[in-house]
Amino acid sequence: MDPTNLELTSGAEQRNVFWPTIRRAVSLMRAHRVALWSSIGLAIGAQVFTIAIPWATGRVVDEAMQPRDLGQLRYLIILILCLAAARFTVMYLRRLIAGTMAINIEQDLRNLLYHHLLSLSFPFFDRNQTGQLMSRATVDLSALRLFLGYGLLFFTQHIVTVVAVMTVLLWMNPLVALLVLVIVPPLVVLAVRYSRVSQPVVTESQQALAQVTTQAEESVVGIRVIKAFGQEDREVQRFRDRSNDVFDWNITATRLRARYVPVMDFLPTISLALLIIIGGWQVIDGGMSLGDFVTYGLLVALIVMPLRMLGMWIGETQRFVASAIRIFAILDSAPEIVDAPAAVALPAGGGAIGFHDVTFGYDPGRPIVRGIDLEIAAGSTVAIIGRTGSGKTTLTQLVPRFYDVQQGSVTVEGVDIRRLRLDELRGAIGTVAEDTYLFSASIRDNIAFGRPDASPADVRRAAERAQAAGFIEELPDGYETLVGERGLTLSGGQRQRLAIARALILDPRILILDDATASVDASTESRIRRALEEVMQHRTTLIIAHRLSTIALADRIVVIDDGRIAADGTHDELIGTSDVYREIHDHGLVDRRFVDADGDHVVIPAGQDREDGA
Amino acid sequence: MSRGPIGVGGPIVSGKGLRRRGLARIRRLAVYAGPYRWRLIGAIAAMFGVLGCTLSLPLLMKSAIDSAIIPRDTHLLVIIGGIVIAVGVVGLFLSRAETYLTGWVGERILTDLRGDLFAHMQSLSMSYFERQRTGILISRLTNDVEALQQLVTDGLTSTVRNVLTLVVAGTILMFLDFRLALATLVVFPLMAAMTYFFRGQSARAYRLMRSRLALVTAALQEDLNGIRVIQAYRREQRSRAALADLNQSYRDANKTTVTSSGWYFPSVEFLAAVATCVVFGYGGSLFVDGSIEIGVLVAFIGYLASFFDPVQQLSQVYNTFLAGTAALDKIFDVMDDAPTLVDAPAAAALPAITGAVRFEHVRFGYNPERPVITDLDLDVRAGQTVALVGHTGAGKSTIIKLLARFYDPQAGRILIDGHDVRGVTVESLRDQIAIVPQEGFLFNGTIRDNIAFGDPEASFDRVEAAAREVGADRFIAELPDGYETRVQERGGRLSIGQRQLIAFARALLVDPRLLILDEATSSVDIQTEAHIEEALQRLLADRTAFVVAHRLSTIRNADLIVVLEHGAVVEAGSHDELLALDGRYRGLYGDWAEAVAR
Repeated sequence: MDPTNLELTSGAEQRNVFWPTIRRAVSLMRAHRVALWSSIGLAIGAQVFTIAIPWATGRVVDEAMQPRDLGQLRYLIILILCLAAARFTVMYLRRLIAGTMAINIEQDLRNLLYHHLLSLSFPFFDRNQTGQLMSRATVDLSALRLFLGYGLLFFTQHIVTVVAVMTVLLWMNPLVALLVLVIVPPLVVLAVRYSRVSQPVVTESQQALAQVTTQAEESVVGIRVIKAFGQEDREVQRFRDRSNDVFDWNITATRLRARYVPVMDFLPTISLALLIIIGGWQVIDGGMSLGDFVTYGLLVALIVMPLRMLGMWIGETQRFVASAIRIFAILDSAPEIVDAPAAVALPAGGGAIGFHDVTFGYDPGRPIVRGIDLEIAAGSTVAIIGRTGSGKTTLTQLVPRFYDVQQGSVTVEGVDIRRLRLDELRGAIGTVAEDTYLFSASIRDNIAFGRPDASPADVRRAAERAQAAGFIEELPDGYETLVGERGLTLSGGQRQRLAIARALILDPRILILDDATASVDASTESRIRRALEEVMQHRTTLIIAHRLSTIALADRIVVIDDGRIAADGTHDELIGTSDVYREIHDHGLVDRRFVDADGDHVVIPAGQDREDGA
Repeated sequence: MSRGPIGVGGPIVSGKGLRRRGLARIRRLAVYAGPYRWRLIGAIAAMFGVLGCTLSLPLLMKSAIDSAIIPRDTHLLVIIGGIVIAVGVVGLFLSRAETYLTGWVGERILTDLRGDLFAHMQSLSMSYFERQRTGILISRLTNDVEALQQLVTDGLTSTVRNVLTLVVAGTILMFLDFRLALATLVVFPLMAAMTYFFRGQSARAYRLMRSRLALVTAALQEDLNGIRVIQAYRREQRSRAALADLNQSYRDANKTTVTSSGWYFPSVEFLAAVATCVVFGYGGSLFVDGSIEIGVLVAFIGYLASFFDPVQQLSQVYNTFLAGTAALDKIFDVMDDAPTLVDAPAAAALPAITGAVRFEHVRFGYNPERPVITDLDLDVRAGQTVALVGHTGAGKSTIIKLLARFYDPQAGRILIDGHDVRGVTVESLRDQIAIVPQEGFLFNGTIRDNIAFGDPEASFDRVEAAAREVGADRFIAELPDGYETRVQERGGRLSIGQRQLIAFARALLVDPRLLILDEATSSVDIQTEAHIEEALQRLLADRTAFVVAHRLSTIRNADLIVVLEHGAVVEAGSHDELLALDGRYRGLYGDWAEAVAR
């Protein structure tokens, strides 16, 4: 299958890869084979003792009770206690070893998957959304972990139990055994079928539940709009309708359970009745001892659960395989952007960048930048301007090698970046994007993100240069204030300034500012601009901006239009020669916002620090 | 599972207090079963029936041995076999009824509760939503209801069934042979002590495991969301190491559950064997005395299982019970939060307004101790556009929230056409106001649904007209399905500018007398910017409008510019007036002019 497509595969495809997937999943167990085999050995041992106890019970009836032999009774009781003690020991070890194995397997699987996910490149994450990947990392991983951690062991254990009990029964009395065991095939078939028919219903119910979740999210996030337009009642009705869909699917599942499970519970009763009639007859006839009769009753009870579990595991296998296929699809997605085999170190230099006939598109059939030729001298500042969708951002993303070009080459310090060590290349570049992502950590950790060993003084200096120190110091916990998803919500402009500080602390050779001051107001922007002027001095800077004031920082302006360079030069050159630039300059780029989107004021909403108390 | 981690692994308070509160909560939950009491009674009756059928089997085995096999009565043997089948069949049908009815009632209760919770949340005031994190509120409707599902559909039925089984099986044992029953029960105190100990241990382990798993999931989710930053800043190794550490701590928490169930379950099995031996030892001597029959012994062995299994199962249900009652607590906490803004008892409907607005000595703070608006006076004539200007925290957004009555002032009053907003019904007020928030929020559904959000009955012509009026028709026409295009979650497929135009169309469609607009601050490209400015002019014309303004064009065109500082009006007037005044506005304008001039 296409390793990049993580969607559900069709049934036919699944059948083709069924056994290979199982084999591959089992091969993940190699590191745990000692634990697996010893658990299986211990499980078999435990079953031997478990079967021996009903047998000894039968002996009590035959050899102690009926002959009224108290000496023999005492002896058998001690035997049962010994058997029970032995079973306790073996079961205890089995649980410890197998349980530890299961959690170790889970740990391995998680590490394997997480490590791999983090190594994948931008194109992978463009194709697969976080929500989808999270579902792989939780739901699918949990299914696979159950299968590997417990499934194989229980499967073996149940088969051993069923085979051993059946052997003992047949050996004791073949006729009664056959009659009593008639329930085995229907029980297994029912259990398998039940798992299969209920699976799609469970899936449907989960999908219906996902709808409920979506609306729950939407109604909370969009509450202002709902209230503003007075649409509460309609939202409530829609929510109730969707909840009722979940109800309907769950009732369908309940109906299936009511159809199958009681029948599976009933089948052993048939065995019991047959045992009473046929076995009892044989006891009266003398063909069977009363003790064996009792043993039979207890043994039949012993295999009911394993039979049902076997059926269930067989039925669930499909689901495990489907989950395993999806997880393997992630593991099979190779990181697209990796070091070349003979990657070289980044040469010393001032950060010269070259684009040579560069063509690239996220979808190779639809290039976003085409045939770009551009030489950027070390230490210069270049503004890249153009309309939304013209390819500005895409062009800058090629420099840190977030994507590889489809044609041509990008060079840094004169070396094709595909030949450079990725680590060093990206380490030399600081990027600030318009939509700033902050992690749930302290402000200090966020600023020092690329240099975790930075001193508090370094962090403060970076914050000062990014004009962020002012508002940070106003915060209750200063640099230790928790931000991000689980922390204080900062305004767009404040986040952008933190992102600038995060880039500056690296002291990068190349600085890429992608609309990095879009959300700050004119006064703050002018202060950042002064700071930028200073920090730009010893490095190469690419700026994407809408504001004329920011563009004015550049030595050179490159106008991109429809993926191509439409004009290239200084402001004075372009204003005279380029119509495109003149038009943009006259009609568009004058800053239309002037007052404060974001002062240095920090607004801490009341109750924001309220914990999610129980 | 892929949902936000907030509120998943929250601390679960334990101890007596919780248990007592837990029971009170369950009683409150029971109210939800009221409408379905007959089904519930049916379910309980069926449960009793099933229990009777299951527990009669060892007795039938006893009769088979004592009354048929030993007296060699083959006729009776066949009859007993027949009775066993009959009991099984009755049990089969009763069990079907029980499964269906308990499932139905449980799901129904949950569905009703979820609906009520949602309805209640929708009725809560804006202040509530601003106080709470969205993640937590969403979690109430999803994770907590699901934790409750475990309790209702699994935990409660299983508890009732197991307790009943214990009681009935114990009674039967007593009835079979009083002395032997007492002798067998000597293992019971040990069993109870072990279970009590295990329950505490496993509840702690389970909580630890859940909270660590929540941490692992949250960390992964965050890393995936920020993967581009991680890679740009070469943090892969560190993130991996951090995840591996979290995995390790989760595994360690898991290990404690392995250890505790490792000793508990084999011990229960061992105790069961000890009980069997007691039955044989003491029962054997009773049998030798001739005071009991052999079938009684066999029946005792049979009942021992019915006695030990429920104890084990009850110990496992405990975790579900804890998680469920904790969830229930959180859910009822939300439902106990009363809406702070309700219609006054004598509230009348607001008649059709012209749109004259007056703020009279208005004071307000989200925290009454710290007023955000200190003493606001403002007089706006019908049809005027008011631009609110000032720094973050100056009180711009608060003013528009007060006007829409998301909050009530602590002092002073707000009049619309001379009516105090507190004296009219919220519904009639909001019917005549439209609000356009900063972020053009889109709901799942089609473009058309989104434009017609304020009036779902609106004809397609009206939707189209509204879209045309704000100039959104151009890009809508280019979409694959036009107005029927489904916008992805939160409008992911539309650009910021396009979403804003949709939000404008949504407001225009209801043709409000009073418009409240919170201008977006994020920048859009030049063309879109031009479209938005054009659309804004149309939107603001012919109605009273309050705008939290960032655009120079909006501010310049406004009839009244209100410059705010620390919750008070410092300057008010038109653009030219304020420039002539040479005050705060002039200073702000100067900053801008300087930036542009560079």
